[in-house]
Amino acid sequence: MSQWLSGIPLFWGKIIAVVGFIGMIIWTWLRPKAFIMHEAPDTNRWRDLRIWATVCLGIQIILYFIF
Amino acid sequence: MDIQGIDLFIVIAYLIAIPVFGIYFRKYVKTEEDYFLAGKMLPWWVISMSIIGTNIGAYDYMGSAGGAYRFGIAQANYEWIGAIPAMVLSAMLFVPYYWKAGVYTVPEFLGKRYNMAVRVIEAILWGAFLACVLGVFFWASGLMLNEYLGIPIEVSLLITALIVGIYTITGGLAAVAMTDVVQLLVMFIGGVALSVLGLWTVGGWSGLVNAITPEHPHHFKLFLPLDNPTMPWLGMIFGLAFVLSPAWWCCHQAIIQRTLGARSEWDAKAGMLMASFPKMLIPILVVLPGLLALALNPDLAGADMDKAFPWLIKNLLPAGLAGLVFAAFMAALISSVDSTLNSAATLWTRDIYQRFIVKNASDKHYLNVGRILTFVFVLWAIVFAPVTKKFPGIYVAMQTLLSIFQGPTFAITLLGIYWRRATQWGGLSGLIAGVAISSTLYFGFHWSFLYVAWWSFAGSMIFNVIVSLLTKPEPLEKLEGLVYGLVMKDKEIQDILSRRANGGQ
Repeated sequence: MSQWLSGIPLFWGKIIAVVGFIGMIIWTWLRPKAFIMHEAPDTNRWRDLRIWATVCLGIQIILYFIF
Repeated sequence: MDIQGIDLFIVIAYLIAIPVFGIYFRKYVKTEEDYFLAGKMLPWWVISMSIIGTNIGAYDYMGSAGGAYRFGIAQANYEWIGAIPAMVLSAMLFVPYYWKAGVYTVPEFLGKRYNMAVRVIEAILWGAFLACVLGVFFWASGLMLNEYLGIPIEVSLLITALIVGIYTITGGLAAVAMTDVVQLLVMFIGGVALSVLGLWTVGGWSGLVNAITPEHPHHFKLFLPLDNPTMPWLGMIFGLAFVLSPAWWCCHQAIIQRTLGARSEWDAKAGMLMASFPKMLIPILVVLPGLLALALNPDLAGADMDKAFPWLIKNLLPAGLAGLVFAAFMAALISSVDSTLNSAATLWTRDIYQRFIVKNASDKHYLNVGRILTFVFVLWAIVFAPVTKKFPGIYVAMQTLLSIFQGPTFAITLLGIYWRRATQWGGLSGLIAGVAISSTLYFGFHWSFLYVAWWSFAGSMIFNVIVSLLTKPEPLEKLEGLVYGLVMKDKEIQDILSRRANGGQ
């Protein structure tokens, strides 16, 4: 099995990581807004935590794409 | 490092200012909740900075810089793919349920969701782990004061105990979290100063890359080939990113406790999510110095590679910056020590003392017990610290023990929150089976802990599902507020739970 695994190109690691990050962004946007904003002091757009998650996961995509 | 003049002034000023600042918060402590959960008043920005202060210790500076010297930028995986997705998961899925449940500890949540046996096993494990880690942290702190300020090691240990103990015992989580904010700022100022100076010396980023890549072509790649013994890319993804990292960020008491002290559910989630931004910058403090050391001195070999960071400090820093970087080093250590102390006291008070020794006592009684236990842990750390020198394997053994439990713990917590059909016997059997699998693979077959984590997680999930399906479902009243499907779609339940978590009926 380890021989078979060692044949997988390194590039697949990058693909799995980036697809995982994108999948996670989609998952966060599937959370109901009421749940995300629950007990937020106001309804300002910046308090939507899905935007925060998208930004930090987006930065990860860039980092893993570059390196 | 020679500490003289202005450097000495900076270090002493820092060591005095931290406890003075921390002790200010004792006036807010009147109840058990004030002490262990900061009165549920922490705003999101304090939580986020305290989480990172807790997460980054002096060992990260040494170990990560040494790892970067050996393997390059792949070391940053522990701060990026090995943290960020898990922090998002924790903020969006785990933290709101812990917070709504109104618990003080993660084992307490598992006890509510499954049964007392699961709570006790988890509490004993985490309690023992945190207590042992305290000894290691104290020894490291004493050693640093001894090495750089020339103070005898016994006196160094007492100074550490005095600095940390004085505000942790009196001020509880509020003092710990607020001092963590200051410590994180000190860490970043010192760390960035070192990295900027290092980059300047090697001729910027391109100078760094040009100096390293001819001899080390993989040092600027995040994923390393599968034949790498420490960081094979498959292990980094399936072991680290899928299991160990979520287990750490979603189930570690010292990390989660900060969010439980949030002033609202939104602050709890936002605090964890916001922490991912400084976390992304941590490689500048702990990985980049390793690469800079490699560019400037490629001759370190063997165990000396772990001294890449001290080498850089000793050979790069001009007079005046040494005190700042030393203060940053101490800040990393102290912010981990105070959090561990507070979390250990919380676990032992809530999950052991309150559950098995004295039940139904007054709030004041448990507050006093919490303070006494924190003091006892300070004494314990002073006594236990020298033992870690005689048995350096203790820290490795504790980390191994933790990695053996982490996969199964994450598996039962994940299923407990996401799947209402998971029963108490499913959870207990999943935990025990998972630990048995990881012990067998680790000690019997000597697998890498990255692969052990994955398979123990998978095995624990399978056992939990099978046993749950074979046993009687839990009553809905027991699961209310603890399971995803019973909260997400019902705003009324969410409001009731919020009131309950805030102390109302």
